[in-house]
Parts: sequence; C-alpha cells; structure tokens
Amino acid sequence: MNILFSCIFLLATLFLLFLNPEGFLSALLDGASKSGAICLSLLATYSVWLGLMKVWEDSGVSRGVSRLLKPLVKRVFKTDDAETLDAVSMNLSVNLLGISGAATPYGIKAARLLDTSPHPEYASSMFFVLNATSIQLIPTSIIGVRVAMHSAAPTDIVIPTLITTLFSTLFAVLLTRLCIPPKKTSKTDFIPHGKGVTHNA
Amino acid sequence: MKVLSLIIPLIFLSSFLFALVRKVKVYDSFTEGVKGAIPLIVSLFPYIAAVTMLTKLLDVSGLSAKITAWLSPVFQRLGIPGEIAPLVFMKPLSGSGSIAVLTDILENYGVDSYAARCACVAYGSSETIFYIGAVYFASLQRKKLTTALIISLLSYLLSVVLCCFLCRIM
Repeated sequence: MNILFSCIFLLATLFLLFLNPEGFLSALLDGASKSGAICLSLLATYSVWLGLMKVWEDSGVSRGVSRLLKPLVKRVFKTDDAETLDAVSMNLSVNLLGISGAATPYGIKAARLLDTSPHPEYASSMFFVLNATSIQLIPTSIIGVRVAMHSAAPTDIVIPTLITTLFSTLFAVLLTRLCIPPKKTSKTDFIPHGKGVTHNA
Repeated sequence: MKVLSLIIPLIFLSSFLFALVRKVKVYDSFTEGVKGAIPLIVSLFPYIAAVTMLTKLLDVSGLSAKITAWLSPVFQRLGIPGEIAPLVFMKPLSGSGSIAVLTDILENYGVDSYAARCACVAYGSSETIFYIGAVYFASLQRKKLTTALIISLLSYLLSVVLCCFLCRIM
C-alpha cells in the first residue's frame, strides 16, 4: 500500500504540474472534505449496528450464535480447543453481519490460536480464506452508504451480494480443501500432540 | 423487494423484544455499543482521508480517465463494466480506501445505475485480502499462506465476474 500510494501520488502530481498546477491544493482539500462526509455516513451505520450488537451480546444472542456455529467450526477447523473455537466463532458471526472492523480483534486472536492447533497450516489457511472471501448476510455498510446517497432501492443489492459471497466462499473453501489437505492423523495421534505442536514452516 | 425492506426493522424488533424478555437494560447496552463507533471511525479516518485525496488528484489530473480507458477492453471481455475498475483494484488492499472509491463511483454514475450496483455488490461480496493477511497473521511466520492468498485472489476475481453477471440479469 505504501509503494502504491507513493507511486500514484507522485504520478498524479507530476501530471498536474504540467496540466493544471492551481488545481493541486484544491483537489487535496476537496478530497479531505469528502472523507469527512464518508466518515460521517459510516459513523451513522456503525452506531446503529454496534448498538444492536451490544444488545445482542448482553441478551445472549451472540453467545447463542457462536454456540450454533461451534459444531461447524469444530469440523471445519479440526480442533477441539475451546478458546480457539470461541474466537473463531465470534469472528465469523461478526463477519456475517458485515462489520469487518469489529471482527478484527477476534480475528487476530483466532489466527494466533489456530497456529497452535493440530493442523496449523490447514486451519490457518482455511481461516484466512474464509475471512478473505467475506461471508456476510447483510452488507450493512453498503446499505448505509446507499441510503445516505438517496438510492431508490438501497436493499436491492442484498440478494446478488448473498449469492456472490456464497459462491466465491464455497469455491475458495473447496480449493483450500484440495490444495492444503489436513494431514490425516489417527485418533491416538491427535490427542497427545493436541495443543503443543507448532510446525513452523 | 418489499419483503427485504421488512427484514431490518424485524431484526431490530425481535432483538429488542428478546432483550427485554431477558431483562437486559436495553437503553444502557445500546448506548454502550454506539460508543464503540467513535474509536472505530477515528481509526479509519486517516486511511479514508488519504485515499479520497489520492482519488481526487487522480481525477483532476485526468489519470483515472486514462487508466479506465486502457483497462475497460480487458474488463469488458470478462463482463465487468470499466467504470468499476478502480474499485476492483482497491478492494483487496484497503477497505476504507475502497469505500472512498465506491462513493466516487456512486456519485459519478448515479446510485441506482448498473455500474453502481455492480460496484456495491462487488464491494459487499469481497474482503480486504491483503489487509487481513497483514493484520491477522502479522505475528506469525507462516510462509505457507501463499497458497491461501492465491486461492483468495482467484475467488475474488470469480466473485467480481459473477456479481456483474447477476446485476445484469436481476
């Protein structure tokens, strides 16, 4: 991002130097004031959903959701460690809501814990792929932006988004299963090694 | 599409009712949650600002028009409208940056235009792949994530092509 930013910035400035040097500062100021407007509309979206999420957390809905996800998470990530399962399930359930900003703390924790799971390479890759392909039920921030810009049908994009996410996630999960198979370990192998194993590649 | 507009109010209704049944102080916990929005925005602001300044510069210098013109034949072949090219490149790198690019597209072509809807779906159905790789796995020395990275990028490309196709038929 650093290299990209510098290159594009320099290139654009160079162009402006020849074409329209007066436009330079006003372009920067324009951009900055627009970022204020964007942040304001994001602030509105996050306020609404983070408020709701806290209500969910306090009334036990989040715990319920992550408990529902747990058996699935257990099978997909092939680990039994309760703390790992918790972090992964929380990360995935926040992601389902489309607030990836709020998913980050759980994600970092889950990534660290998965590294010590029985199949670190497979589990880490699977976790990365699941997060990278985005699994969300309601694209909350997009709807927020669309409402702010007076769209006639702000929720129009929900179903295409759902279908697209579903397909790309499925595709990625299958590919991961194929390319990075979890090493077959028999039950006796699985228990003693458990948490302590870290194959650092 | 009428049903869809019911979903969000219903989610709130049922959540608040459930919370009341569970004897949660709804007002207290709602406000507590809202409080978390401020630090989140504060942490995003610098990146959004930097990218909006950059895109403005690109616009004014005429570079972005040139880039779009170069790329649109390639994109057209895949069924992707050339207008959303900047978003397609930005999204894997930075979420806040691509929100800036997305707003740009919505403003320029109209919120309900084909390009804008493609942009929205493309934004919503993908994640900031490189950002996640950098932040989540920063503390780990695992070179083997390369395969996962390639898989993610492949499925990202697939999702962009698919979403443009869906927007055309829906």
